[in-house]
Parts: sequence; structure tokens; C-alpha cells
Amino acid sequence: MASTPQAPVYLTTQKSLAHRLILSTLTGRAVHFKQIRPSSLTHTGLAPHEISFLRLLEAVTNGSQFVISVTGTELLYKPGLITGSAPGSGASAGVIKHELPAECTRGISYFLVPLCLLAPFSKAPINVLFTGPGVITSATPSGDLSADSVRTAILPLYAQFGITDNIELRILRRSNVSTGGKGGAGEVQLVFGHQVRLPKTVHIMNPGRVKKIRGVAYCTGVSASNNARMIEEARGVLNPMTADTYIFSDVSSAPYPKSRDKSNTNQNRKTGVGFGLSLVAESSTGSLYSADLASPPAGGVPPEDIGRQCAYQLLESISFGGAVSLAAAPTVLTLMAMGSEDVGRLQLGKDVLSSEPIIGLARDLKAFGASGWGVREPITGLDGDVVVSVVGRGVGNVGRKIA
Amino acid sequence: MAPALGKRKRRDQITDLESSREAPADEDSTNLQALFRQHFESTFEPLPGSSAHPPLVHKLDTKATDEGIESDWDGFSEHGEEHAETVHHATSAPSKADVSKDEFRTFMSAKPPSSVTKIASTAKRKWPESPENDESSTDAANLKKDLALQRLLKESHLLDPQSSLSHSGKNRHKALDLRLQDMGSKTSVFAQQKMPLAQRRGITTKATEREEHRRREAQENGIILEKAAKSKKKSDAIRQRGIGAPSVGKFQRGMLKLSKKDVADIEGPKKSARRKR
Repeated sequence: MASTPQAPVYLTTQKSLAHRLILSTLTGRAVHFKQIRPSSLTHTGLAPHEISFLRLLEAVTNGSQFVISVTGTELLYKPGLITGSAPGSGASAGVIKHELPAECTRGISYFLVPLCLLAPFSKAPINVLFTGPGVITSATPSGDLSADSVRTAILPLYAQFGITDNIELRILRRSNVSTGGKGGAGEVQLVFGHQVRLPKTVHIMNPGRVKKIRGVAYCTGVSASNNARMIEEARGVLNPMTADTYIFSDVSSAPYPKSRDKSNTNQNRKTGVGFGLSLVAESSTGSLYSADLASPPAGGVPPEDIGRQCAYQLLESISFGGAVSLAAAPTVLTLMAMGSEDVGRLQLGKDVLSSEPIIGLARDLKAFGASGWGVREPITGLDGDVVVSVVGRGVGNVGRKIA
Repeated sequence: MAPALGKRKRRDQITDLESSREAPADEDSTNLQALFRQHFESTFEPLPGSSAHPPLVHKLDTKATDEGIESDWDGFSEHGEEHAETVHHATSAPSKADVSKDEFRTFMSAKPPSSVTKIASTAKRKWPESPENDESSTDAANLKKDLALQRLLKESHLLDPQSSLSHSGKNRHKALDLRLQDMGSKTSVFAQQKMPLAQRRGITTKATEREEHRRREAQENGIILEKAAKSKKKSDAIRQRGIGAPSVGKFQRGMLKLSKKDVADIEGPKKSARRKR
């Protein structure tokens, strides 16, 4: 809720809508989206997962307003205060239950990563339980991380900003992508209980060298041997490079959601059957690189291929260099931009910095009133890297200002 | 070869019988001798001469191996062997020992795994007392005895004549209080907290009187005593007033009364009459 009514930021298309909404909420500036899938004949306007995200934002904030045009191609968002799971704002017993519809095609990380960015600036701890027939905990073909990767590769980065306590991501029920790429009735709970005035200024300049690789192989509703086969193949690729490689295996049954209408018993069947692999490489200085791959919803890919490709993906992520991988860079850069009025520095791989989402993020941050980034060559180290200097906004947590 | 199994059984019995028949009567005696010899050697020193172990313990085992050798069951028929195809799904299941349980807990719990690896505690381990360093051990024992003696001297007046050397009941608390005072406690735990003002005044005057008397005696006799502790100045800290009470003056009969000092405090230091124009 901006104290002085400012003109909204005008943005176009649905590209990185969730992250833009987060920036709007953090900076307190209204945002107006135009041209949201205007040319699509079947799926015009906002998609189900985007609507779900708007509902989630509404649940964790107080006083935010959404205006969606009739066709759904335009959206005006006026942000409110980030209240978190405070009692009296939709939270029952301190938990906000957020149900995702069956049409949701994105993985749970689409919701988790932006929500985690809001959480440190919230007034009360955030505790959200994601349920419903649209919760996909695995990686998705649209490029979302698995919930495991969010926990093992994204959440540890918050510690560098001084946000360490009482953070949990509980994967209560696993689910892969169902046939047709739709959701799969998993269950995930995010507890983010560490709220700060301002995140610390960080200088992450030393990528270090990869010292250990960990991972989780998960399968739902299929034989556990799939896990073993993925692990075998991934280790075959990774072991010659890092001896300290271990991939944990998690086997669970597929969720079995009961259909609402009892006449249609055909819909009462298992959803979200499949398997996947999440790998995380940790360097000697604590840099994390992650890779994620899951079986496609259509099936037909042997677990060996998944394991091998995931291992190659991890190696590619490491080869990009920098102290932060591409998957985690938006999180780190946004937290830096929301930090104190001080220059934080971050070493990134050139390929990471020049990637579309990061360039888009830089433009968005500028649009929302943050200062631009400074980019220079590192004094020492690899030649494939650049050092990005980010000045914080110094506004921080409005809810924590008076306390 | 099902019938062979039955045959073998019978054969075993035969071999058993044979072996028992072969065993002569003197074997028992040699066994006995060996037994005695073993016992003797275990308590004293090994005897010279043959150290041939008696087949006493191994007899059952040898019989078993004999049986293994003698069995003529040679597995399944071999004619299908060249067609058999062996498939190895080489799932090199990593052993659980490969990764510690702590690692599993840190990585697979709901919490994000901390990137900081735990460094094993470098605190010095306490080694068990070895007989080599008896010098230090005697030192420690002496210290212990010394402490016990000191305590006994200090607290002997508390001891019951009937009971043993350890305190019990109220005396234990008193001894503990003495020790606390020894270590620097300002007041005794048993000092009375509340009493009539007159009584307390009496106690303090008596104490000061006694102290004065002691000092005077010492001075007259030419004994140098420790320096007298300065009496504590009354602190100038502002008196704690009740909540809701006026912060200045006192409230009496529905009016706030200010003393001259209060007024002076409010007015502040008087400025000199000289003023620059």
C-alpha cells in the first residue's frame, strides 16, 4: 500500500508474471499487465496457475487489490501489506491452506520460490499448506524445479542473507506430472518463520570448487527399481569427477484423489505416476548448483536416460560458473536488491547473466525503481565470470519497521 | 537324484559306524591325557614334547567335511547350461555405511540442508587415568585430601558428635552456606530478611560498636589492622516512585506540595545577572 498514489508500472505479456508480482509487492508499487496471451484462441488471458498465484498473494497479504479485465488479458494489481499467516487473515491455526486446481500445469516451485521471496519481509511467519489436485512436487517439462531442489538448492541460500531460523519445506505427499501434463494431487507445506528488517548485504565472490554432490531420486506409483536405475546411471557419470556423490532414494505410492462426483467413477484413479531425479552440487565455499529432471507425462523414457541427462544437466550448470546457478540467481539478485542501501556483489557466470530471465529481471527491477546493476570483470578467478554489483533499496520489511 | 539322498543318509550311518569301530579303546585314554595336558599348559607353562592337538574339538567338523567330500550329489543336470543367459541388473546398491545417518537426516529432513559442514569437535578428549602418570594422580589425590581437611576444619563445629563425618539435614545447608560465603557470597542465606526496624538498628549499632571496640583495642596494643571499609555513601539515585505517582514533590490531601528544593530543581541554576546586550 503505497502511501502516495503512484502511477502503476506498465508491463506487457505474462512473462515472469509471478516474479513481477513479487517485485510489485515488495516495492509497494502497483503494476498493470497488458497483452496477457491475447492471440491464443483457446487459452486467452491468465492461465489457471497464474490465477492460483494471485489467490495465494491475496492470502498472504492484506489489502491488495486485483482487477482482471473481462477477457483476462489485462491485470491491475495494487499490492497490500505482507502479513503472512497471521491469525484472522484466512489462516486457520496459523496455516493457510492453498488449494491448487487440477488444471494447474506448473510444478509447486512456481509458487514456492516467489513465496519464499516474500516471506522474509512478512509481518508474521508464513505457513502455507499446498493441497489439491494440482500440486506437482516433481520437476515439470515447463522447466520448474522439483520441491526437493527448492529445499536443497534454493532455501540454503537464504542463510547467506542472515535468514536461517525456522525454515522448513515438508513434502507431505509426492506427485509427478499426470498424463496430459496436468497436476497430480501432492501435498507440500512451507514454513518460513524467520522475518527480518533487512536482509544482510552479501558479497558472494568465490565460487569455490565442487566438493560433493547429493541428490534425491523420487518415484511415485512405480517400482522402486526405477530409482535404483536412475541413481546407477547418474553416479556412473558423476562419480569419476566427484567421489563424494550420494543420491538418496524416496519411494512413495501415487496419490489417489477422490473425484467430487460419484457417478463418474472413472476419474477415481491414481494421478501423478512417474519418477524423477534432483541433483545438487555443493562447492567448497557453499555455492550450490542444481539439476532436475523427471519422466515426461507421456512416459516412454527409461530411468537410465533420466539419470544420465540429469547428471549432464548438473555438469552443464556447474560449467556455467559463477557462485550462483541460473535457477537460484533470480532469488539471490532480488534479495540483494531488497537489501540495505549498500553495494552487494555477486559473481555470476557470463552465460547466467546473459540469460533471458536474468536480463528480464534486471529490467523489471529498474522499472520498479531499483537502481541499475554494475557489471565488471572479476579481478581474480575464472575468465567466464562477471561480478554484478547490486545496490539495495533500503526499504526492507515495512511490517517490521515499528516493533 | 532323489534316491541318492536317501542312500547318502544310509552311507553316513555306515561311515559313522566304521569310524566308531576304528576308534580303539586307547583313544579315550590319549584324549584324557590331552585334556589334562591342555589344562596344565593353560595354568603353568607349555610342556616339552609333542604339541599335537587332540582331535577332540574338531571331531564333529571333520565328520561334516568328510560328508561333504563323500556326497556324490553333483547338482542339477548340466545339459542346459550353454543356453542359460544370465542378466545382471547391476544395481550397485550403495551400502548404508557409505553415507552417515547424520547426512541422511540433514539432507532428507524438511529443513534445508545447511551448507556448513559440521566439524568434529576438537575439544580435548579426557583420557582414562593410566597407571603411568601416577605422579599427577597422587597430586590430585593430595589436593582432594587437602580440600577435605580444610572443609573439616571449617565446618567441624557443625558436625554432630553422634553421626559420621558427613553433614546431614540442616547442617548440610549450613555447611553449604559457609562454603558459599567462602567463595564470595555477600550475605548468608540464613540471614533474616525481615525484622522490626528497631531490632535491625540494634543489630547494626551493636556490630559497629563491636568493630569500633576491636579497632580501639588494636590501636592501643599497637596492632595494625586491615583498613576500615568505607561506609557506603547513600546513593543519589532518584527514588523509585509508584506508578501514577507524581514525579516531583509529594501529593498530600489532594494537592501537590513542592519543597523549596523541588522548585529550585525545576527552575534550574540561576543565571548571573550580568547579561550581554
